[in-house]
Parts: sequence; structure tokens; C-alpha cells
Amino acid sequence: MDWLTPQVVTSVIVNLVVVHIILVMVAYLVQAERKFSAYIQDRIGPNRTGFDFGLPALKFLKGCLGFGQPLADGIKFMLKEDFTPSRVDKVLFSLAPVIVVSPALIGFVVIPWGGSWDGVLPWFSGDLSLTGGTAVRITGADVNIGIVYILAVAALGVYGVTLGGWASNNKYSFLGGLRASAQMISYEIPLGLALLAALLAYGTVLPESIIRLQISEGWGVVAQPLAALIFFIAIMAEGNRAPFDNAEAEQELVGGYHTEYSSMRFALYFLAEYAHIVTSSAFLVLLFFGGYHVPFIPGLKDLTSPDAVSVWAVLAKFGVYFGKVLLSVTLMIVIRWTIPRLRYDQVMSMAWQFVIPVALVLVVGVSLVIYAGQATTWNLLMVNGLVMAMTLIAAPLIPKSTMNRKLPLYGSRFSPMPDERVRTQSSESLALEDRPVEGSAPVAR
Amino acid sequence: MIESFTLASDLSGYLPISLIVLMAIAFGIGNVVISQMLGPRRAGAVKGQSYESGMNAVGTARKRFNVRFYLIAMVFLVFDIEIIFLYPWATTFPNLAPQSDESLLWLLRILFFLFTTVVAYVYGFRKGVFKFD
Repeated sequence: MDWLTPQVVTSVIVNLVVVHIILVMVAYLVQAERKFSAYIQDRIGPNRTGFDFGLPALKFLKGCLGFGQPLADGIKFMLKEDFTPSRVDKVLFSLAPVIVVSPALIGFVVIPWGGSWDGVLPWFSGDLSLTGGTAVRITGADVNIGIVYILAVAALGVYGVTLGGWASNNKYSFLGGLRASAQMISYEIPLGLALLAALLAYGTVLPESIIRLQISEGWGVVAQPLAALIFFIAIMAEGNRAPFDNAEAEQELVGGYHTEYSSMRFALYFLAEYAHIVTSSAFLVLLFFGGYHVPFIPGLKDLTSPDAVSVWAVLAKFGVYFGKVLLSVTLMIVIRWTIPRLRYDQVMSMAWQFVIPVALVLVVGVSLVIYAGQATTWNLLMVNGLVMAMTLIAAPLIPKSTMNRKLPLYGSRFSPMPDERVRTQSSESLALEDRPVEGSAPVAR
Repeated sequence: MIESFTLASDLSGYLPISLIVLMAIAFGIGNVVISQMLGPRRAGAVKGQSYESGMNAVGTARKRFNVRFYLIAMVFLVFDIEIIFLYPWATTFPNLAPQSDESLLWLLRILFFLFTTVVAYVYGFRKGVFKFD
């Protein structure tokens, strides 16, 4: 029983707790997404499903602001027909959702949710015998590869998406799967490069040490805002989130790679998407937003410092960490419902012609600063600002592709014929907003 | 106090990971199996068709597709392997003495390594690999 150390026992317990928190969080994120989209689109959203299950005895649980909706959805997903179309590759078709959901559910384990704990419960006076006097880390796995693990696991999700699209034997699914896999592997590179810029500044891959460095030197987002921005863009594109959700662009591809899926297998794709968002948000918080630490607020500052090891500190850190994750996820939801989807060629060009070169230059700049031994917050911020300024100056100088321009449709009110009279005034004030340019048709290029 | 415990250099740290991996796979398979058992099953000739917006399906999806996706995959391999090699460097390089000869050597080596990738990138750019229109 040499391997059954207190750390292993703690890690297993933390994993069990966190995986359930994430599953419940995913269910309510779907609810939150529906509510947010409803309010953004001036609707109400799900508001009447309670926990009464139609029973008269539970009538007092009716309503509940619609909070029963995720449970109802879950039961419905279970009980609906899990249909397999006749022409699909049956084994891969069933296997693909499992391959998608497994990596999404195991990525979080190296996140240091609660710092360290000295193994003392104030309300329990007996011998806990969990720890032999030393502190244990409240994390899913205390391994020395640290955050490289998350990167390795997050990359596995692309297999399931590709397989699901291919196995469906449906053109929509196939194109969706192809698009998704190309997009995911493209944005993995800026993700890795932004992470590299952060790692160069920290000089370690251990989550605990990264948080400690951020507490003493200032949050990563202060020192490297450009790296944080690239990282945020990359995790949204990795998770196939809007505005990068071309894999399931409804107008073009129906449902993308999960067009043919129904019931629980569809739900697994959905669950994986949201679990992926939660995990990568936790990753973002760890690298750039100080992990579980809260600066400036007097009481909370000491309670969430890595040196506080009481059980209350652990709970406070858990709360702070999940609070930060929720803020990041909320930002992603709001972005999804307010920014229109990019075109697929725009997404891919952005990855290869813009984000990757910028990230490469950023890595070189940061490593030069580190070679000079001047890796202070100010210098890193200056490097980030310099790269950003260089990008903004150089971007207009690069020749743009002449293809895929907006073609003028002659005779329409936006491109009138030379001698055509166009009505530029409307009786409706709203219609004036997209009033065409007065005059003749533009010269064809 | 925190520094007193050592880093798990043995494999026992991976035990919780293997447990959660098993759990995640069991979760996926279990959910699929349960919903297969609970849900109804009604087959039909038309129902079994693949969905093409309500039209009769034309051919299969096992077709040739745009070669650009292969190009992306190949360029991805170049870059991804490069990044993987950069991680060990990125954890060691900042801990070297700044402006020392050893540090300079490490920096120049990795800059040359990055330069080879930039050459590949420029070649791909000139060949139009990164044009998506």
C-alpha cells in the first residue's frame, strides 16, 4: 500500500467532487445560455419548468424560475429514441460521442482548485489520519508535467469530432467534421504559442508555482495581455464556439457533425462542448487571471493566498476559482449571442495569416527579454504592446486577397445603374439606416 | 510549510488520472447504453435515410474532398511538433543565468529552430497553402 499516499486519496476525492460540479455546471450552463440568448433577443426563455414532475403532492415546487429545465432535458435525452440511420458506420457512430466526451471530462484534473490543505477539520475532533502532518494539494492529480497535461488531453477531442462526422455518412456531417477538425488543429498552434509565451515568463509548468508567481509579480493578463487575448480566441475556436462555430453553421450545414445524432449520443456532444469550455476557462484563469487568488480585498486576500491551508481557505479558493471560471464562461456566452459568425475562410485565414505569426513573434520577443534577464511585468507588457503595435502597423501593408469580395448586384438599390434613380428617403426611420450611397454604380474591379 | 512536501516524481500521481479516465469512458459508454435500452426503437425505410434537408439522399458522403484539408493537416504537423519541442526549452531557459554564454547558446539554438519553421511557413505562404478563398 505504498502508493496509497494521502495525496492520492485527496486527489481521488477532489476528482469525484469536481467532476460532479462540472456536470451540474454544464447542465445549468445550457440553461444560462438559453436565458442569456433569450434576454439578448428580447424573449423570456425557459421559465416554467419546475421540479414538480406533474405530481399534485409536489405542487409547491412548480415554476422555480425554470430551473427544472436541465433536469427535464436530461430525462428527455435519456428516454428519446437513440436512432441509428441505416447507412452509417455503426461502430464508429456509437464510439465517436464517447471519444468526444471522455477527453472533455478529464482535462480539469491538474487545475489547483483549492491550493493546499493541512488535513484538519475544525468540527471533527477524531483522528482523520488522512495526512501525516504535511499539507496535501487540493488538486485532481499532483503530477510534475503540470499544465502540459491539459494541452495533451484537450487535443484529443478532435478525434471524436472527425470520427462522428465521417461515420455519419452524411454530407452535412462530413463537411462539418472536416471543417471542425481543420479549425481545431489550426487554432491549437496559437493556443500552444500563447501558452509558451506565458510559460517563458513563469519558467515553470507547475500550477501552484504559476499562481504564486502571479501573486508576487501581478496577474499574467497584466504582463501579457496579447498572449491572454490570443489564448482566449484560441480556446473559443478550439471549442467550436461562436463566432467560430462554422462546423455547425445552421444555414450551411444543418447541425454539422452531429446532424445524424439523436438522444443521448447528441447530448454527449453537447456536454463535451460545455465541459470543454469550463476546462479551458479554468486553464485561462490559471495562466492569466491569478488562479484562486483575490488581490486587494483585505480579508479575502489572506484567505486565498497559497499559504493559507485551513479548510475555510480551501473552500474560499474553490469558490473564487469557480467564480472566475463562471465569469469567463459568461463572457463566452455573451460573445456567442452578440457577435455574428465569421465565414469559414475568414476563420482559417485569421488563424494562419494573423494569429500564428503574431504569436510566433511574441514568443521570440518574450524569449529575448528573458535572455536579457529583464522579465519584469513592465518589460513583458512593453513587448506585448510592441508586438500589438507592429501588427496594427503591418496589417494594412499586407496585400489583401481580391477574391471573395462583396460583388455589386447592379440594379439593386445598393448598386444602382448609372442612370437609375434610387429612393434614398424612406417613410420609415429604421429603413434609413441601410440607405444606399447616392449616385451611380461603383466601377467594377 | 508548503515547500516541505516534495513533488511526486513517482507514478502514484497518475493514479487519480487513470481513475478519472476510466470513469469518463464508463460515463460515455454507460450513457449510450442506457439510452439505447430505455428509448423506443422504430425502424423505417425512409427514416433510415441520411438527412439531406428532406430530399432523397444522393450518393454517399464517401467522396473526394478538398485537398486543402490535407495541406492544413501537414502544416499543422510541422508547427505542432515544433511547439512540442519548445516546451522543455521554455521550462528550462528562463531558469538559466541571464546573459550567460549558456543562455545565449540556448537562445540561438531555439531561434535557429524557429527560423527553420519560418522558412516552412514562408514556403507554404508563397505556395498559397494559407489562402482560403
